[in-house]
Amino acid sequence: MLKIINGGIETVVEDWPGRIGYLDNGMSSSGAFDNVALGLANVLVGNQPGEAGIEIAGGYFQAEFETDAVISVTGTDMKPTLNNQPIPLWESIKVNKGDVIKFSHFAEFGFRAYIGVAGGIDVPLVLGSKSTCLFGSYGGYEGRKLQKDDVLKFGKPSKDLDSLKGRKLKPEAIPEYSREWVLRAIPGPNTSPDYLTKEGMDYLFANSHKVQLNSNRSAVRLAEASELSFARPDGGVAGSHPSNVLDHAYAIRGSLNICGNTPILLIADGPTLGGYMSALHVINADLWKIGQGTPGRDFIKFVFCTQEEAVEARKQQREWLSEKSLA
Amino acid sequence: MDQKNYDVILDKLPEAESRPEVLFRQAGDGFLQVEYGSIPRFNLVDSFRVLTVNGAVKAKNIKGLYETVPGIRTNMFHFDPEVLSVKKLIEEIEEEENKLEHVEDIEFESRLISLPIAFEDSETKKAVEKYVKEVRPGAPNVINGYNIEYMAMCNGCSVQGIKDMVCATEWYNSGNGFWPGGGFFWPLDPRYAIVVPKYNPPRTWTPEGTVGIGGPCLYVYPTPTGGGYQLFGRTIPIFQFAQKHPLFKESPTFFKAGDRIKFHEVTEEEILYIYKHVHEETDYVYDIKTDKFKVKDWLEFYNKPEVQKEVQELLARQEAGTKAAPRV
Repeated sequence: MLKIINGGIETVVEDWPGRIGYLDNGMSSSGAFDNVALGLANVLVGNQPGEAGIEIAGGYFQAEFETDAVISVTGTDMKPTLNNQPIPLWESIKVNKGDVIKFSHFAEFGFRAYIGVAGGIDVPLVLGSKSTCLFGSYGGYEGRKLQKDDVLKFGKPSKDLDSLKGRKLKPEAIPEYSREWVLRAIPGPNTSPDYLTKEGMDYLFANSHKVQLNSNRSAVRLAEASELSFARPDGGVAGSHPSNVLDHAYAIRGSLNICGNTPILLIADGPTLGGYMSALHVINADLWKIGQGTPGRDFIKFVFCTQEEAVEARKQQREWLSEKSLA
Repeated sequence: MDQKNYDVILDKLPEAESRPEVLFRQAGDGFLQVEYGSIPRFNLVDSFRVLTVNGAVKAKNIKGLYETVPGIRTNMFHFDPEVLSVKKLIEEIEEEENKLEHVEDIEFESRLISLPIAFEDSETKKAVEKYVKEVRPGAPNVINGYNIEYMAMCNGCSVQGIKDMVCATEWYNSGNGFWPGGGFFWPLDPRYAIVVPKYNPPRTWTPEGTVGIGGPCLYVYPTPTGGGYQLFGRTIPIFQFAQKHPLFKESPTFFKAGDRIKFHEVTEEEILYIYKHVHEETDYVYDIKTDKFKVKDWLEFYNKPEVQKEVQELLARQEAGTKAAPRV
């Protein structure tokens, strides 16, 4: 069990792939913002890569263990300590009853840290997932971010704790962080020649887009693209702006919508359907990078990708998030 | 890579009988959008078709197909591309498309839900106030702190005219989406089809039960969320995750694809009273009637010369109004 002392900026319970199969009822999948950091945290403590862990955005999370456990910390380096002694990232460690874990804030690179716990986080399954949907206020721990005096229960570890501690990753398995996140993307469904001009599509792929401060778990807003050129003078029956379309489903997670002149990436808790055009889609295997893009500081760049490459990248990610990555 | 391929149309079915052209658009790895007609149009016949084909494809239990998300003139297919190739999925959909020749023959069970609405209530006014303060100061779609005057301007009518139109028609749900349990509603009576542009950029907050219109589509916000529709009032709860009220016993959501709603004006006090009796007392009784919706009958009404004459008059007012209104 883990007793929360300080919930920090935004700390939530998330698993992967989240809540799949409810898009047609307006329920997005939610799930870890960075499924690679969560996946590796889980592999380190002997869990399945999609098991629920603790996602810490920004920082300042603090909690006390009420039982012995094996944990791992991954993601951005928030200078975590255990009883005020620094602890390593990307490896599993044993913690004892009464130990206090404390995080500072996000580091030079990246924005979210994850805690994996041997046995996972024991919260009820809501529609097949332990993930928190903050905007719908359901799932995870009482449908909300963690706060002081909450108590999280742990599941049963896959092996005895002593055999799970001290596990490390191969150096090449630790993801590389940056301040410009390169995301592979597939064009569609609204591209040139009918929605944007070719120059408009080129603009999206050629430029780095700054992550805006008003981003959250449903949408990552990018810098306004005033030079973006549309192929239509207006949205016809859908509205006066050419980014307006008659409401259609969004390919969430990963759709890049054009809302007025603002490109917005729809992720975790985002809307499932709406009236803005969708120009491209970040491939499933690169979604994790969006979770590490620091609002107000980092940039996102899109790189053209084909369907075949995207399917191959899924296979590679599955290999990456497995025990094959252990040293 | 120098030559990027932005052509996302993977396949097409030609126009035939009552079916418009069908376009299969790439929408990501694991997503395919099926679109009806190459020129976007607002025609409910397309939605009747979407829901019918959707039901047939889902009944096939195709391995690797996670789910579908119907819209008014599109359907999104979400699948596992490692199990189901996009090519195979397109073949499966085309098979069902080819079986449905006459959309006029479609009949389906539909609920008619009567919903009270308080126009220009204080909660939705707060959402507009927050938008102007935090997102877009001086937004042209905000006049006297609200959107309804801008809506009236775009439609060449008065504020009262907007309220009358909202209450005059039944609104048909082409499918749920955006946020949990929210339906996308379209006017079944084309004489009252309000059209307005959406926010640019969208809001970050909208209260529970807010009613908004964007383009020609009406939406009830089930929970506090962002959003881009123009706001004019608030209705009663349509979502309850706690599932305490009997209406939400089976599911936390209320609306279903194919539902119709009809609004009637009440005071804000009455709306607040109902909130209490849905979420706390759990004894509010929703007004729901079920009957059969026949596409043939609706088309007959829609195509009446006197109806179409009024539609043309509305379109002319809207064209002039949109020209006069500031662009968002």
